[in-house]
Amino acid sequence: MDKNLFKYKNSKRTLTTVGVITVFQTIAIIIQALYLGKAIITIYEGANWSVALSFFSIFLTAHISRHFLQWLKSRVTYKFAEETASQLQRQFVEKVFALGPKPITKFGSGNIITLCLEGISNFRTYLELFIPRFLACLITPVGILIYVFYTDLLSGVIFIVVMPILIVFLILLGLVAKRQKDKKWANYLMLSRHFVDSLRGLVTLKFLGRSKGHRDAIYDVSNKYRISTIRTLRIAFLSTFSLDFFSSLSIAVISVELGLRLINGNMEFLDALIILILAPEYFTPVRELGNDYHATMDGKEAGKKIHQVLETADERTNLADVPLPFWNGQSELKVTDLTKVYSEEGRTVLDQINFSVKGYQKVGIIGLSGAGKSSLIDVLSGFTGFTSGLVEINGKKIPAFTIPSWQKQITYIPQHPYIFSGTVAENIAWYQPDATEEEILEAARKTGLMPLIRELPGGLNEQIGQGGRALSGGEEQRIALARALLTKRPVMFFDEPTAHLDIETEHEIKEMMLPLMENKLVFFATHRLHWMNDMDYVLVIDRGRLVEQGTPEELLRKNGAFVRLIEAQRGRVEHESIPKIYTT
Amino acid sequence: MKAFQKYILPNLKKYRWIMFFAIFLGFLTFLAASMLTFTAGYLITRAAERPYNILMLYVPIVLVRAFGIARPTVHYIERLIGHNTVLKILADMRVKLYDALESQALFIRSRFQTGDIVGTLADDIEHLQDVYIRTIFPTVVALFLFLFMVISLAVFEPLFALWIALCLIIIIVVYPLISLYMLKKHQIAVKEKRNKLYRMFTDAVLGISDWIISGKKDHFLSKFMKESSAADKFEKKLAHWNHSRSFQLQVLSGIILIFVGIWAGTEAAKGDIAPAFIAAFTLATLPILEGMVPVSTAVEKIPAYEESLDRIENIEQYVVKEPEKQPATLGPKPEIIIDHVTYYYDKKDRPALNNIHLNIQPGEKIALLGKSGAGKSTLLNLLIGAISPTSGTIRIGGKAPKDYGENIFDVVSILNQKPYLFATTVENNIRLGNPSASREEVEEVIRKVKLDQYIHSLPYGLNTQMEESGQRFSGGERQRVALARILLKDTPIVILDEPTVGLDPITERKLLETIFEALEGKTLILITHHLMKLEQMDQIIFLDRGEISMHGTHEELMRTDERYRKLYELDTGKY
Repeated sequence: MDKNLFKYKNSKRTLTTVGVITVFQTIAIIIQALYLGKAIITIYEGANWSVALSFFSIFLTAHISRHFLQWLKSRVTYKFAEETASQLQRQFVEKVFALGPKPITKFGSGNIITLCLEGISNFRTYLELFIPRFLACLITPVGILIYVFYTDLLSGVIFIVVMPILIVFLILLGLVAKRQKDKKWANYLMLSRHFVDSLRGLVTLKFLGRSKGHRDAIYDVSNKYRISTIRTLRIAFLSTFSLDFFSSLSIAVISVELGLRLINGNMEFLDALIILILAPEYFTPVRELGNDYHATMDGKEAGKKIHQVLETADERTNLADVPLPFWNGQSELKVTDLTKVYSEEGRTVLDQINFSVKGYQKVGIIGLSGAGKSSLIDVLSGFTGFTSGLVEINGKKIPAFTIPSWQKQITYIPQHPYIFSGTVAENIAWYQPDATEEEILEAARKTGLMPLIRELPGGLNEQIGQGGRALSGGEEQRIALARALLTKRPVMFFDEPTAHLDIETEHEIKEMMLPLMENKLVFFATHRLHWMNDMDYVLVIDRGRLVEQGTPEELLRKNGAFVRLIEAQRGRVEHESIPKIYTT
Repeated sequence: MKAFQKYILPNLKKYRWIMFFAIFLGFLTFLAASMLTFTAGYLITRAAERPYNILMLYVPIVLVRAFGIARPTVHYIERLIGHNTVLKILADMRVKLYDALESQALFIRSRFQTGDIVGTLADDIEHLQDVYIRTIFPTVVALFLFLFMVISLAVFEPLFALWIALCLIIIIVVYPLISLYMLKKHQIAVKEKRNKLYRMFTDAVLGISDWIISGKKDHFLSKFMKESSAADKFEKKLAHWNHSRSFQLQVLSGIILIFVGIWAGTEAAKGDIAPAFIAAFTLATLPILEGMVPVSTAVEKIPAYEESLDRIENIEQYVVKEPEKQPATLGPKPEIIIDHVTYYYDKKDRPALNNIHLNIQPGEKIALLGKSGAGKSTLLNLLIGAISPTSGTIRIGGKAPKDYGENIFDVVSILNQKPYLFATTVENNIRLGNPSASREEVEEVIRKVKLDQYIHSLPYGLNTQMEESGQRFSGGERQRVALARILLKDTPIVILDEPTVGLDPITERKLLETIFEALEGKTLILITHHLMKLEQMDQIIFLDRGEISMHGTHEELMRTDERYRKLYELDTGKY
């Protein structure tokens, strides 16, 4: 059983309520059996119709109450499941924001999205089914058993003996099926993924001239998948089979045993009939729990994974805000011994970084792939906290860059800016939803978006992003820049914004960007050396350390790490730390 | 409907006997369950009559045990057969979907821009197996049970059988239809709400940086939770309807049981049946009704299938049957002549390519550059015969690319920007280029792409799974694996479509060096976004809005073209 089940709000109350309802339901089941038996016997004995009918109506009342209580139980658990799932969803979404971009990438953004929507929904189904089923299993058989013991000891003994056998078989077969599945899991997964894999690689297959022949492979693999699935199911279905088998065999055994004792006159017909009617009811809760076992597994798993995400350490701890004035020509940022260690991997990505910037400056950050350029941008822009070090703005110590007063001042443009599903205007005004159309058009003009807007049938109101029109890499950058421009925020972060663009687009974007970077504090991480000409100050990062800093001219004169990096990129000399590192 | 006819109907025909068998077993399961209580009821009543000889009860005793064992056994076999059949059908449906997608592989991206269409379709096919297991099988089983119950009652009393038939119709026809009608709207609403939530949350997760910086977290959270609870409201309605429906159906079952009990009593009073059957008939009613109640749940799933079928239908509409032609084979000289080629996607728009004239000799190295939308992909599609020029001609080795049919890929290979590497071993991935290649040939190509040392350093060497940890191969290495595949394919012409996007400059340079070395002697068309290594090309072509804007060698362009000089300086970052 799930420990977390008791921790949710109202879970104890719900469990108690459902438990009480189940007790009443069990009583209704017994009354129902009692009066159905009585009614049948009355008819059998050819007695007065009105007597039979009154028994039947008591039966029907009990029957209706029983199912009404079932309905009530469903309502109560549904309400609890819905509230709990919704609560969990809220926590999950909040957590996603607290985690920031890097841990999300680690979990996989697709996984996060699936967990938050399908995962939560499966979890709700699990709560909804599991609670009433589980309690019914605990209560109903006991109630029936008490009644049966009270009327007929021997049948009670049979009932009580069969149940443990049933449960042991259930657990055993569950374990066997799981082990078999685990053992073949890799193979199984490969077979089941083969189809999607083939579809995703269809263009590649086509280019290799292999796409026509591949249909046979699909058929073959699907059949292999079928055979291995059936092999697993043979075991998996055995658990349901054994439940069915024992319960239905016990019913048979009980009825034969009842018959024999009736012949010998050791028993009342009515008692025998009632026990016969109650026998299936005794086993039903366990059978239902067994049948729903697989249906609820997904939800239980999802719940586990959600808790796993919720328990991950925050990268963006909420620290007390320190009021900061807006960055201006006189502002100063001083960073001392800034270090960032990713706790889970124990990897130091930034190692004692020291630098300071004053006023409006363009700071270039360069280094090999994996040297720590993006990590530095992530820390400075507050997507993640830092492990140790001292950061002062205008001489005032701040605990992290995640504080709101810093966040309010910055914009960030990555290699692939995200385009939200919405209109062009909504995307540009994303930070500033109250911007007027003139302001939006002004930003669009400055970022060279006007030709695009004129070409779109819907103009500013054309849908872009998911489900809308696709944009080219250059257009995405322009939208992101327009977005940034509209905010009038004084600090800008760029993380490799142009490397993926074709050279002509890169040229155009650069021409357009340079004026926008005036009178701003800019941090610009890139591999593209041409940007360094336009920087006021350059930080050279190598393996997490700041190995050189200065104006581009100074660094060129120095003939150190900066010059070596340039040479390496041009293929003239081998950089000593190149061979180990490949890509970002 | 076309998709239904293509994907569902033929399977119903093809597997009709085995499906019938599975359904029959399903019917038997419920029959055995009700016969178990029937005989048990009879047995007890007879026993209570205390017959003189216990042998009188011999038959019911055996039957009770037999039905007791038969029910779980038949159920077990039925489930296995049912699943086996459905998985067979799944294999058939997959092949059909594959065929539909294969014929338009090169256009899927441009035709269906929205999200992960391929993944969704695969899910749809998976989902359609439920048509059989969860809808058709239980419904038909219920119909059989209905017929069985009505006919067996009719043997005794046709009028009563008619009355029970009417009651049962409420369960197997009226409720399902009402459910279908009432719930369809809600189901669609739930679906829409959930899609909206999905879009919202995807925007939040993928655009997380912007959300964090903008400080709009709380705004998002409250909006998202509001939408989420709106979706919950509809789901709640569905759930409540389900709860109420099962309650009502249970009450109805109870009433039907009373009818049967009273009827059995009157029959016994008339002497048509032995009194011992009263308990038997009454008790057998509920187990048999249990097989009919699920029809509502089975039928209410139909709208969900419709949605999947609609999506498949949307794909199917583009499938065109190309007449089978004898594909041409390449002559001795694979020269490419593009003669005044113009191509329009849409006559109303400007041409995607306008009057392009090019001559590429065997062994030449061509660089093709241009902004997005300049016409590079159109030219590529023309070269492999996926589309034909609106005017002008294009010839490879003297024949139009289209005439080669599938053989075009023995003439031209393509390394695209994100070559797909399949979830299998490195060797299998490379062998896709030529399945009959010897181990030596595979070793040779990995040497040529300079992956031999790395691959041999891995514990499983060439048998390493491509996707095992997801991180084993970096972007540059993945391109090299794909390049090895192309080398094994050994075609005279190779097109490289932006192979270095997303790589850092050092990796980019090394990859390009490997490419040039390994493909020496072949015609090479390199679509590229940077100017790195263009010094080694025989022709450099810039496309702009469908026209050639610059054309020449590196030296020529450096000498004569101011714009090229500027771009070159930018690319190398003059220092």
